[in-house]
This record gives sequence, C-alpha cells and structure tokens, in this order.
Amino acid sequence: MLTEKERQKYDRQMMIYGFGEAGQEKLKKARIFIGGAGGLGSPAAIYLAAAGIGTLRIADHDTVELSNLNRQILHWEEDAGGKKVASAAAKLSKLNPDIKIETTAEKITEANASKLVGDADGIVDAVDNLPTRYILNRTAIEKGIPFFHGAVYGFEGRAMTVVPGKSACLNCLYHNARVPKEKFPVIGVTPAVIGCIQATEVIKYLTGLGELLINRILNYDALRMKFTEFTIMPDPGCEHCGKAAGKRK
Amino acid sequence: MSVEVELSSIFGQYTSGLVNMTVKGKTVREALHDLARQYPKLKRMLLTEDGDLMSSYDFYVNGQSVYPKDMNTPLKDGDKLNVLYVIHGG
Repeated sequence: MLTEKERQKYDRQMMIYGFGEAGQEKLKKARIFIGGAGGLGSPAAIYLAAAGIGTLRIADHDTVELSNLNRQILHWEEDAGGKKVASAAAKLSKLNPDIKIETTAEKITEANASKLVGDADGIVDAVDNLPTRYILNRTAIEKGIPFFHGAVYGFEGRAMTVVPGKSACLNCLYHNARVPKEKFPVIGVTPAVIGCIQATEVIKYLTGLGELLINRILNYDALRMKFTEFTIMPDPGCEHCGKAAGKRK
Repeated sequence: MSVEVELSSIFGQYTSGLVNMTVKGKTVREALHDLARQYPKLKRMLLTEDGDLMSSYDFYVNGQSVYPKDMNTPLKDGDKLNVLYVIHGG
C-alpha cells in the first residue's frame, strides 16, 4: 500500500500507461542487488532509488579515489578515502528516505555471492571485471532471478538482460573469455547511459512493461552515436545455463 | 568472396579512423587475416601467434552470435562480420 507522500512522489511515473499504482507497489516491494557502486552502479542506483525500488542492496569493497570522480557520481571529493558503500548510502538516503539501502563492503566472491545477493529479486551487474561478472551471472541462474548486465570501455558500452530459463546468459555471450586485468579508459557519460539502460530494464522487469533486452546485446558506440543490436541465442553447451550445467534439456 | 567488416570505434586508432571496410575470405579466419594484411597494426591487437582471434574479442556474423566460436565459420559473399572487444569496465 502506498502512502499519500509516495502517491505524490511517484505521480508522474504512475501516469504511464500500464504502470499505475499497482506498478509502483511492485517497485516498492522489490529488492534489487547492485554489484558495484562505481561508474555503472552510481546511475543505476540513483535512478532505481528515485523510482522507489523498496530495497537496494549494494555491494562494493572499494574506497573512493579521486580518479573515480569523473564518472562515479554517487561519490564526491569530500568522500575520498572512505568506503564507496558509505557515500552511496548517504546520497541515496537523502535522495529517497522512503526506501531501504542495505550495504556490504565485502568483496564479491564465489563463496559469498549467494549470501550477499540473499533474497533479492534481481542482480544489477555494475562490477569492473569479468570474473566477478561470471560469479554474479551464475548466482542469478542458480537463484532463478534476472541479471542485468552492463559494461563500459572508453566511449563504448554494452547492455543485456538475462532471464534464467528464458534467455541466453552472460557466459553464452562470452564463453569464459578472459581479458587482461587493466586500468580501463572511460568517460562518465558512457556508464551514465548504460547504467540508466540497466535501471530501465529492472523497472520494466518488475512492472512487466515492454520487451526486455533478452537474447540480444545492445552495443553503444558513443563516438559514432550509434546503437547496434546483436542476436545472442542460448548456447546449449553453456557451462552456466546449458546442458552441461543441468539447466537445459 | 567479399565480406563487409565493421569494428568498434576503439579500433580506429589502428586503422586511421576507419571502422567499416571490405575484406576477402571464405571463412572468418580468412576474412580476419585479410583485414590484418590490409591494416597491419591490427594484427597484433586481434590475432594470436597461431593466427586465431584473441579470446578478448568476439565476432558476430550478420548480427548473430556464432556457436561454437569457430574461426572456420563459413562466410558468403556480402556477409557482414562485426568484431567487438569484450569490454569489462564498470
């Protein structure tokens, strides 16, 4: 049940055809896990908080550095040296005091991912490396909850939604590809676009509106200001969601 | 056998800014090797010493993923081959 304050706050989005008070109540009841409070996690968390997602569970073990500030807009210069989850929680709670922000500064690992995600209804992939993405992809498949993938590099970004049992997963896409661990180039406007696409997918999934970005990856090339879609079919041999993992017949 | 190749803009630094080009080849391998011949600076970026595509890149034929990721995947005249870097930043 929404409060009168919430009705006023979310009035404009409840006006959207098919959204209504029922859609807002779905957002209020939802718990979303955000892996990473950096370049992607900042815009995703800000827009999910503003939209009224009931619980945001944020995991990030890093501390704020000056070199983060060109893109990680949840963190300001005054936060340098502190835990990212602390400054994220402080900003998000001010933006929307009516939602719950849960944080953990534990590093996401194979051993603790399931516990950290807990009873969340979906996972936003806002981490900065492939190995952790594979861990979260597998966790989402094990729990049967969606995985909202995003990644950035320079002026380029990519997004894809994984719905276990219905779509290709991150490993169908990359087949355990490995990339060297490196300091990657990026400008803030790129994760701003991709993080907002991830947040949009979360809202669509929870409200049941529109068509999700499943079985296709959206590639954003900002230098050419071009969006390109590639079809990704589930790989029957996928080690995460295919026959080998006992997830398909 | 003429194949259209489209690369991400990040490759532009090795191709004088070009990201759309035409190459020859009856397989993904032949097409990528012709690409590396035309743009030698790309060779070290894209191909291993064995001439395979490095695992940090991915390719799509006519906008579709290919399983398995086989360099011997056949190509037809007019096919489009996209090569993307497996981006991983967040």
